[in-house]
Amino acid sequence: MSSDTNETGRSRRSVLASAAAVGATGLAGCSSLTGGGGGPDNPIQLLHAWSSGDGNAAIAALIEGFQEAHPDVEFAEEPVNGAARGNLDQVIGNRLQANDPPSTFQTWPGATLEKFGDAYASIEEDVWTDEVEENYLPGPKKQAKLDGTYVTVPLNIHRINNLFYNTAVLDEAGVDPESLSSPADVVEACAAVAENTDAVPFAQQTSGTWSTVQLWETALLAQAGVDGYTAFTEGEGDVEQVRAALEHVVELSEYYPSDASSISFTEANTMVMEGDAAFIHQGDWAAGAYSGNDEFNYGEDWGQVTYPGSEGSYLLNMDSFPYFDNNPSPEATKTFLSYCASTEGQVLFNREKGSIPPRKDADVSELNTFQQDQYEDFTGADSQPPSIQHGLAVSTGIKTNITSAFSGFLEDYDVDATAEALVGAFE
Amino acid sequence: MRDPIATLRNRWSDSDARTDGGSATESERSLLSRDSVRSAPFWLPPFLLVGLFVYGAVVWNFLLSLTDFSGIGEPDYTDLDVENYLVAFADPIDGLLSTVGMGGEVNGATPAWSDLTVEPVWNSLGNTIALMVGFSAVCLALGLLLAILVDRGIRFENTFRTIYLLPMSLSFVVTAKFWLYMYNPNTGLINVALGVVGIGPVQIVQNPDLKLAAVAFALIWQFSGYAMIVYLAALRGIPSSHFEAARVDGASTVKMYWRVIIPQLRTATVSALVVITVFALKAFDFLFSMYGGYQPGPSADILATRMVREAYANQNWAYGSTIAVILFVMALCIVAPYVYSQYRRGDL
Repeated sequence: MSSDTNETGRSRRSVLASAAAVGATGLAGCSSLTGGGGGPDNPIQLLHAWSSGDGNAAIAALIEGFQEAHPDVEFAEEPVNGAARGNLDQVIGNRLQANDPPSTFQTWPGATLEKFGDAYASIEEDVWTDEVEENYLPGPKKQAKLDGTYVTVPLNIHRINNLFYNTAVLDEAGVDPESLSSPADVVEACAAVAENTDAVPFAQQTSGTWSTVQLWETALLAQAGVDGYTAFTEGEGDVEQVRAALEHVVELSEYYPSDASSISFTEANTMVMEGDAAFIHQGDWAAGAYSGNDEFNYGEDWGQVTYPGSEGSYLLNMDSFPYFDNNPSPEATKTFLSYCASTEGQVLFNREKGSIPPRKDADVSELNTFQQDQYEDFTGADSQPPSIQHGLAVSTGIKTNITSAFSGFLEDYDVDATAEALVGAFE
Repeated sequence: MRDPIATLRNRWSDSDARTDGGSATESERSLLSRDSVRSAPFWLPPFLLVGLFVYGAVVWNFLLSLTDFSGIGEPDYTDLDVENYLVAFADPIDGLLSTVGMGGEVNGATPAWSDLTVEPVWNSLGNTIALMVGFSAVCLALGLLLAILVDRGIRFENTFRTIYLLPMSLSFVVTAKFWLYMYNPNTGLINVALGVVGIGPVQIVQNPDLKLAAVAFALIWQFSGYAMIVYLAALRGIPSSHFEAARVDGASTVKMYWRVIIPQLRTATVSALVVITVFALKAFDFLFSMYGGYQPGPSADILATRMVREAYANQNWAYGSTIAVILFVMALCIVAPYVYSQYRRGDL
């Protein structure tokens, strides 16, 4: 009997104790909300839109790796479903309005950071240590800063200036992809494909604007060089260069599938896989679909060249995890961001995602051959300009204007009007 | 519930009664025993909730549209002005002309809260009105035709009715993807059908001349079944003696419907019209799914896509609210005459 009483007594005490602990955690949470810090942290609230596919596998691998390395840090992962970044931004916007930021979330770095600019805090001392800073290349480093201060950690890099091809179709057409050296050569190669094969020369979707914006920015980079490209992103673009890049897109549009406006990127990409199309210009997530197909192998059935004319540049599309001021879990978030800035975390993530680590000292032997080749290109690149379509180069208001200009371009391919709208997007 | 005006009148007469010297306890008792007061537990909570969350939100949205609110932070309600409306309706004469396809270029303005030029709403306003008018007119006409056909006592009547109504049960996302396929120049059924009559594959989805019509066509497909059901119900409500009388007087079928039956469908038309035009205002989901975002291109851009773009892509909350108010006023313009006519007929 007495032992029973003791049991109950103890359990009551332990209930009280745990209630006190919960209260203390709450208090600690409050104090950390007011910037006090110290005491046990809240669990990390990570919001992302990688709710399916390779993105989901990648974030799962990253979190698993992190939890093995830091078993003491708790995670409250909250994927925002819908798999669209737009939804995620709305959720973040609403939470920031309510002054209730999460620990971190998936966002494009670069100019996109301006959207929630005031809400971020510096992680220059805690995360961007000398060791980290030395091992990031200048391009990604620049994108991780907001007004000259590090506020985010780039996690992966997808390259935009790729030209993927189906080897068999190009062989049949008598085109050697390695010999292409300018955007004009791509158009000629498309003409050869059209003449010598039944395949569609250039797979592209035009129901949404994004693929065309990507293609145009790649053409601008290839024709106007990094300087011309950078001048445009800074609002000092040369309208002639913009026009020339648009004209290249118009020339290529002759070689699109005839139902380009009704298909999606996946369908366009499948055309390349099935030998119904020769080329596709895409970010290297296109290769993710190829690697899922056992009968479509890198080097044998498909290949990739840097978009002709843009050699030496690695056109960046990155995801990153920024640090919010007023953070619910300051220490834990910084620990997590440091893990994201480590080669270990980046390799775990990118192995699943199909992209490459932004650090130049990563051991990429665990990545696939294509990723290793891309990584070699990346570390050897002269410049790493930021993508316009993928939110790095221009702020969201300007990007909306650019997308608007292209939504009109897709209707009538009016080069003059679009060129003016693009240059005017910065006003 | 009792007529609010009657309630009000009672209250006045009550207070009159008190000045006449009626005792306070009596009037208190009569206040408590009043129907409207006694039923308050039932109607008051929803009344307050709707008032707060619907009409309160409408008023709040209007207030927001008068501020300069953009980005994150708190709106500043101390400095209210109509600048956003001036930006939205910049260049009124040219703007109005441009919505009917005339008039020159309308330049945007740079309001105080923005570093970038903000375009007026003329283009999307024109598209919205065109979509609304075209879609609802055809939808009603088609619905009426179907209703008359189904009402003629055909075989498998119920089956047809279900088939016509079925598209309405689908979400906009499904119908948008479906019509993206239907409009495919190579494999889509529309182009296959056109091919049969010798019209060669037509680009529809990104064709500036056909885009909006294509959207309207898909919406007609989805909602004409609804118009049919409303008309069918109204047709069933017309006594068969009317049909018989017209027949006896020697009216042909066409004449009978035209002169006798259709004029009696006025109420049904108005109520179907209200619902259908409101669907047209909300075609956002359809465009969003069809064009993979809120940038359907200038020929199909409607106020709803423009509003979401301003609010959520650019975080121009105040300007987004301004467009929302414009949409609200448009919806009000459609609903108000209906409500007024109902009121006049004593149906309200």
